Amino acid sequence: MLGARVSEAAWGYGFALIPIAVFGVFFIYPFIYAIYISFFHWGILGKQPGASGTYNYAKVLHDPVFHTALKNIAEYTVAVVPLELALGLSLALLINQKIRGRNFFRSAFYFPSIASSVAITTIILFIFSANGLFNHIFGFTTDWFGDAHTVLWSIVGLNAWTTSGTVMIFYLAALQSIPTDVYEAAALDGTGAWRTFWKITFPLLKPAHFFCLVVFGIGALKLFDQAYIVGGSAGGPNYATMTPILYIYNEAFANYDFGIAAAAGVVYFVIIFGLTVVQRLTVGRQEAA
Amino acid sequence: MTAETVAAEQFIPGKARSDVARRVLFYVLMVGIAVVFFVPFVWTIVTSFKTIPDSVNFTLIPHPLTTEAWHIVWSQYDFELYFKNSFFLAAVIVSSNIFLGGLGGYAFARLKFPGRDLLFLLVLGTIMVPDQLRLLPIYVLLTNWHLINNFDGYILINLVTATNLFFMRQYFLTIPKDFEEAAKLDGAGHFKTFWRVMLPLALPAIGALTILQFQGTWNDFFWPVVLFSGNTSHYTVQLGLSNLHQLYTSLWPQICVGSIIAIIPVIVIFLVFQRFFVSGAVTAGVKG
Repeated sequence: MLGARVSEAAWGYGFALIPIAVFGVFFIYPFIYAIYISFFHWGILGKQPGASGTYNYAKVLHDPVFHTALKNIAEYTVAVVPLELALGLSLALLINQKIRGRNFFRSAFYFPSIASSVAITTIILFIFSANGLFNHIFGFTTDWFGDAHTVLWSIVGLNAWTTSGTVMIFYLAALQSIPTDVYEAAALDGTGAWRTFWKITFPLLKPAHFFCLVVFGIGALKLFDQAYIVGGSAGGPNYATMTPILYIYNEAFANYDFGIAAAAGVVYFVIIFGLTVVQRLTVGRQEAA
Repeated sequence: MTAETVAAEQFIPGKARSDVARRVLFYVLMVGIAVVFFVPFVWTIVTSFKTIPDSVNFTLIPHPLTTEAWHIVWSQYDFELYFKNSFFLAAVIVSSNIFLGGLGGYAFARLKFPGRDLLFLLVLGTIMVPDQLRLLPIYVLLTNWHLINNFDGYILINLVTATNLFFMRQYFLTIPKDFEEAAKLDGAGHFKTFWRVMLPLALPAIGALTILQFQGTWNDFFWPVVLFSGNTSHYTVQLGLSNLHQLYTSLWPQICVGSIIAIIPVIVIFLVFQRFFVSGAVTAGVKG
């Protein structure tokens, strides 16, 4: 009996060995190593002699480009997340009706979410170029993704659209878990559809709201692909598409300053982590109550 | 209102008429949204069959209709190679995630060993480590191991993810223990039980994992741009498309072709495995 237990434990370790090695070498070790790098002058040739102390941190925190990146991502996130949630919930409510071709519509609305972000961004750049289809139809002349004043908001629109399908899927699952007798009671009371939604459905979806806020909020803070395709690694035009992740990428692979990039990575990690904790303590506490 | 409609109204109960109107309005709205969603893609497909001078026109039918851009992108711009690269990486990474995620997931779900729960917490913790922090250490590590601009490096860091392992573990937990006990009575060892009994039973989970991981690897842009930028022979489709767009800003037919190639495999997989995809996306997201 003891032999069987020892053998089971041995097999257990054996099965988990490679995954744990991968997680150790490529997740946990890099996490610690990144913090280490952030305290050194670290260039393309590797670590330079002597510790730099908090020099990298001071430099990042005083870099106007990093400030711009933070300002951009704050504006972007505050704008895009409510839009994504509102669009996704609207689509879910439409799909949740008894309708013909439900699967077709669900796939159609979900489609932009699964297509590659590089391809979708490229296509939208084409449609919204100064001489593109959108301007032709609606009579604008704006270069939506080329003008520093409109580019960030254009990315907001693009990502609200592409992400709404994923949000829809989560809300659909939540809507389907609401028991139907709640609605039957409302119908008996003669409550209208609009009132039923705001008084019953919307509050019952609270766990889904919270889940989507966290997941898509963190997703928004990690904006990279679209910004890179639209503005290149320099975050053009005039840093209008510079985001923190792009800043880290740019410091590492355009300026070859790994120390600065690592410090920016740590700073941004602390910011996101702090936001998550604050959110848990405020919205999350209400949620639990 | 004409006399006829007034006459007709008398025979239609008010509620039913407004219901019909509401339904019609509803379908018009749904179709309208679907059209808005599809217009960019339809326009991309149309443009991919146009000539460069014709691509600035707003005509729906290409004139002349040509597959020239397709030939150029596929052969001359090496998208055939990029397509193979992307497909190779996706196939290897999906397979290794099924096998290693399954193996690890099974161990954490069913086998008892000292420190299991602590190790599992550590595994879950890795989900929190963001890519922007892993970026530099992994780059330094792979540079030291001469694995930059090399498929092995990319495969190595994607060999198995905590999300997939967790996903497999959760599925194994739902399978009744009777199956394993029956296998044990037949004298099967732990690996044989896993490989011949448990893994086949986890087919729905494997289906969902395959689709989500294929999509993830196929669409991945961040790591390819970090690891393969210096070597065009290792470009993935996404990297090739980004490069094509940067180099030839106004070659719209070619850029449209590249975009379609970058999207199609995921669409095909999505259409074939739709049921897995949607339920998998929710389970992975909610539980992961």
